[in-house]
Amino acid sequence: MVDIGTLSVIILLAMFVLLAIGMPLGFASAFLAVATLVLKFGPELLYGNFGRGPLNVLGQAVYRQMTNYVLISVPLFIFMASLLERSGIARDMYSSLNVWLSRTRGGIAIVTSIMAVIMAAMSGIIGGEVVLLGLIALPQMLRLGYNQNLAIGTICASGSLGTMIPPSIVLIIYGLVTETSIKALFTASFLPGFMLASFFIIYIVIRSALNPDQAPLPPEDPDDPKGREKALMFLGFLSRFALWITAVLLGRALFFTVTGANEVVEGVEPIPLGMVSDIPWIVGAFAVALALILLVVGRERTAIGWAMGKGLIAPVVVIGVVLGSIYGGITGITEAAGMGVIAVFVIGLIRREMTFEIVWDSLMRTLRSTGTIIWVTIGAASLAAAYTLAGGPTYVANMIVGAELPTMGIILVMMLIFLVMGMFMDWVGIVLLIMPVFLPIVMKLPVDEIGFLGGVDPKHVAIWFGVVFCMNMQVSFLSPPFGPAAFYLKSVAPPEISLTDIFRGFLPFICIQLLALSILLLWPGLVSVWL
Amino acid sequence: MQQEGVWLGPFRAPMRMVAIVFVAAAILSGGWLIVSTLFLGSEIGMHQMLRPGELISVKLTLWSLLGAVVFSAIYLSDTIGTIEPKPQGFFDVLSLIVARISMIAIVAVVVVMFYEVVARYVFEKPTLWANELSLWIAGFVFLFAGQYAMQQRSHIRIYIVYDIMPRWAQKMSDCISVLLIWVFTVSLVWGGYNEVKAKLLRMETFGTAWDPPIPATIKFAILFIICLVSLQALSNLIADWNKAPEHHSPADEIDEAEIENIRRTLEDQK
Repeated sequence: MVDIGTLSVIILLAMFVLLAIGMPLGFASAFLAVATLVLKFGPELLYGNFGRGPLNVLGQAVYRQMTNYVLISVPLFIFMASLLERSGIARDMYSSLNVWLSRTRGGIAIVTSIMAVIMAAMSGIIGGEVVLLGLIALPQMLRLGYNQNLAIGTICASGSLGTMIPPSIVLIIYGLVTETSIKALFTASFLPGFMLASFFIIYIVIRSALNPDQAPLPPEDPDDPKGREKALMFLGFLSRFALWITAVLLGRALFFTVTGANEVVEGVEPIPLGMVSDIPWIVGAFAVALALILLVVGRERTAIGWAMGKGLIAPVVVIGVVLGSIYGGITGITEAAGMGVIAVFVIGLIRREMTFEIVWDSLMRTLRSTGTIIWVTIGAASLAAAYTLAGGPTYVANMIVGAELPTMGIILVMMLIFLVMGMFMDWVGIVLLIMPVFLPIVMKLPVDEIGFLGGVDPKHVAIWFGVVFCMNMQVSFLSPPFGPAAFYLKSVAPPEISLTDIFRGFLPFICIQLLALSILLLWPGLVSVWL
Repeated sequence: MQQEGVWLGPFRAPMRMVAIVFVAAAILSGGWLIVSTLFLGSEIGMHQMLRPGELISVKLTLWSLLGAVVFSAIYLSDTIGTIEPKPQGFFDVLSLIVARISMIAIVAVVVVMFYEVVARYVFEKPTLWANELSLWIAGFVFLFAGQYAMQQRSHIRIYIVYDIMPRWAQKMSDCISVLLIWVFTVSLVWGGYNEVKAKLLRMETFGTAWDPPIPATIKFAILFIICLVSLQALSNLIADWNKAPEHHSPADEIDEAEIENIRRTLEDQK
């Protein structure tokens, strides 16, 4: 009926109109899916016979989403994060980290960043993270007389890392939409995520070294152990922790040996750190840790160090359960999320914090966020199915590739579109609506022209683009006028800090994020380092 | 959590009794099945749970489970959380009930997954049914979650232009939105009715060892629940008709009660 070019323009304009009148995003896309089919096939073919016809593709698309096993990880990760928020794990982790770095200039800011990274590795949601950091670290920093902008920027920029460091919901949805391996996406995003976090920390160190007034040291506590003594205690803590970890690993490896689960079989991936050949190494590490405690540090110091660092144990256990399940080859993403829920719940029980109210309240929030995210998925999946049936993505890709624009030029324009859309729209909408159009274009671009310093493996283009997208969304959490991190922080900051102040504090951190993004664009090989 | 009920009124206490009775019945009959399978060598397993045939004990368990979930959900929907507005009509109450069912179902998914992982890695006896069961439950959770999000008005919308419109234009826009949602729903039913009916009538199964009727039930649920969602949208439109113009900012997304809770957690055991 209508040719595909006109159809694309109509749909795009209609989308703007519908969003402007405040129609929910998911339903606007769902309606436009119907509109696409009407424009393509004409009303007679569609509505001529009740009960069948091309309209059935919509139902099929929705059904595919509803029976997608990986999609179950979304509510589970949200559930886990909201349980985590209500436990005291974060607070204890903060005090433990703070003990070790209290005499370093800019210490609390650095602690905030490190803590954000650890929390990011536990769950993949932002929001709760910014709120937690804002409640725990902001009052401390302001009381010590930290520069307000530095404090605000550190909290929000680090708090947004949740979606950059695996497990990340953004990457899960990206993987679902583009049919990319989510495990590979997680692996690939590790390095860029840590790079971004270390840029933040380097920035804090440099800024507070150049300008010590911005990050005053806390008054000295006479009871606090000094320099070398503290380092030794830290070593003691690490050794004792290593002792526990190796003991658990040893038990696990022995269990596998007894049950025969780790027999060397051709073609079967060996269990990481669970094979018979790994046992000597584990025993060796155990012995080294034990020797360190007894000979170097001494038992008394170790005990003090252990008491000081205890708060780090629960987070490491949760990370071990979630990421260990994924990378240890035990379970897939979805089951890892389920295990994460169980781990947080059990830790909460041990800490005597879990009550029926907390679980029920978390479930309520989980269901609400799930409905919000999943139904955008439903609408977008229908639209994508209808638009693909009409030949849309191929048409757009051919048009752009046929225009013979410079490859990196196209990519830069896409980045610009992501950044601008990120200012107004939630990441869910962007990934679900834009990716089905953008990724085919990227896949059609000549691979050897992507990046300037070394290219990217053709197999990894989709993964690279996902990580790049994730980095873009980091900026969108902070960018005015609607950066969500700012509003989360505003809700917990002292009233005299205005939104303008908060966004001003973000500026240097947005620049750092853009720097990390450009490194990722210049050197795409960064993502394949660990793949 | 507030303690008095929002809609059950005098039926609150009886409903609580009914829920307790069904939960107890489910625990007893389910427990009997587990005990008899583990120790008495009975052959009843998850396979029979899908196809009870003539087995009274299985039927009893299934019915009491269903009753336990539904009546607990009804009872629990009578108390609303701090983030939830008061229900204002039949469809609001319905959405709250399905929300409670879904919340119980999320826990069920976690438990099923935990069971599967333990069975597979500790006892090396992977189940045939756990993955499919969680997939089946989750499908309903996803669909119901949309209905709940609709009732809670938490679907993602962009308010930049909407907020500067005069109230009559906002009402117009809302009418258009609801109308277009209905267009989608009608189209979906129009295109899928025959397939869904056929699959439901022959109870099409998943084609696996345990073989749950996922296609039959989920395909039907999609059409049915999307109709409920559209009805909820219409009910929202009517309920919000006479409200004063609202202004939205991203700050609305922030959930004060949640922050208060977190703050309390942090202060608790300092």
